[in-house]
Amino acid sequence: MIKTSRQMKDAVRTLSVAAAALGLMAGCASTPAPTEQMALSRAALDTALSAGGNEYAPLQLQAAMNKMDAAEKALAKEDYAEARKLAEQAEVDAKLASAMARSAKAQKASEAVQDDIRVLRQEIDRNAK
Amino acid sequence: MQKNRYLPLSLIAAGILSACSTVPPQNATLSDARSSYNSARSNPQVTKLAPLELKEAGETLDKADAALTKGETETTVNQLAYLAKQKVAIAEETARRKNAELEVASSSAKRDQVRLEARTAEADAAKQRAEIAQQTADQRAQALAVASAQSQRDQTLIAARLAELEEAKKQAAIAQQASDEQAAALTEARIQAERDQALINARMAEVEEARQQATLAQQAADQRAAALAEANAKAERAQALIAQQEMQLKELNAKKTDRGMVITLGDVLFNVNKAALSSGGIANVKKLAEFLQKYPQRNVVIEGHTDSQGSDSYNQALSERRAEAVQKTLVEMGISRDRIATRGYGESTPVANNETAAGRQLNRRVEIVLPDAVPDAQR
Repeated sequence: MIKTSRQMKDAVRTLSVAAAALGLMAGCASTPAPTEQMALSRAALDTALSAGGNEYAPLQLQAAMNKMDAAEKALAKEDYAEARKLAEQAEVDAKLASAMARSAKAQKASEAVQDDIRVLRQEIDRNAK
Repeated sequence: MQKNRYLPLSLIAAGILSACSTVPPQNATLSDARSSYNSARSNPQVTKLAPLELKEAGETLDKADAALTKGETETTVNQLAYLAKQKVAIAEETARRKNAELEVASSSAKRDQVRLEARTAEADAAKQRAEIAQQTADQRAQALAVASAQSQRDQTLIAARLAELEEAKKQAAIAQQASDEQAAALTEARIQAERDQALINARMAEVEEARQQATLAQQAADQRAAALAEANAKAERAQALIAQQEMQLKELNAKKTDRGMVITLGDVLFNVNKAALSSGGIANVKKLAEFLQKYPQRNVVIEGHTDSQGSDSYNQALSERRAEAVQKTLVEMGISRDRIATRGYGESTPVANNETAAGRQLNRRVEIVLPDAVPDAQR
């Protein structure tokens, strides 16, 4: 499911083109730079990475990273509305990745305990024989 | 994802086509989001375990609804709808996580319980094993007891064999002793034989010596016989001499007494009350002198005697004088004075009754004693 760098480049390029078109054609409202939102998104990404999102929620993490990259590029082009929108999406994606990773871990732990119980039961059965 | 990637593109395209146009009252993305939200809200696990997250999702959804109602751009509505939808997902995921965590907690307790059961089962199994071991040990002990009894029987057998062996050894020792005794007896017999041989040798030596001694004795006997013959010859000679002497003494009227030959010179041979010899007396003394000259080894004792008339002292003196007179006469005739002893007895030794004249004459006398000389021809 992990994309090749080429695929990623394609995606980035598509998004950039769309953003540029959006900026040029619909400059309906001018917005301030989403500095705070960018920081929040980055923090959420970091958290997702450290929570093991790479392992347990690779799709969500990948999406978040892609959107974050796009947000950075939009920010660099001073397309602030686009940057905010992408950053917001990246934040929730990253948070979802974190939640999924934690959930998966918890389930794993639960399964481990269940396994323990099963093994113990087998032992008991074996000893009882 | 693939769908997601092209979704914004199509939206943008739509946006471009209807830029800043009035918002249609329906939005597909928002509808999706609401459907998701309703589904999550009907899940009691989510409402119970992730109420905050669900509330947040609901707020975002309300904003999206409001944006749609206000007629804000589709982009904005879509954005809010997307956020709402993702938040619903976050809420669901959070609920799932918490549920798992609860499961872990409860399962841990359950696991502890099971672990306890396992320990109990282990203990039971151990007990069972111990019982089995005990049984095995009992069986072994029994087997051991049997073996021990067997061993004891064997031991007894061995003891019996040992006793037999000991007995045999004893008998062998007795036989050995008997053999030793026989050997000792043989040795003794040999020693006895040797001793007998030695004795025989000794006896033979003794016999030899006895023979020699017999020879010597024979010689001695011969010598003694010779000596005896010589002695007999000497005795015969002495006898002849004695006979000759006795014959001569008989001529002197000598009488044989205990003291030897006694020649009595009667009173008549002396002058009365005088010591001097009469002529007859001198003749008798002359014969005696000849005898004494012939036999120079013979000595004489001259004894003077008187009768009881007169005093004792006179008679004593008279007897002494008469004895000395005889001695003097003999000395004058050539006889050594050494050979002549004199003694005076006075009237003390009468030979007859002094009451009569004849008896008194017999008592007045001089006796010449010739002590028995050893008739040894060699002297």
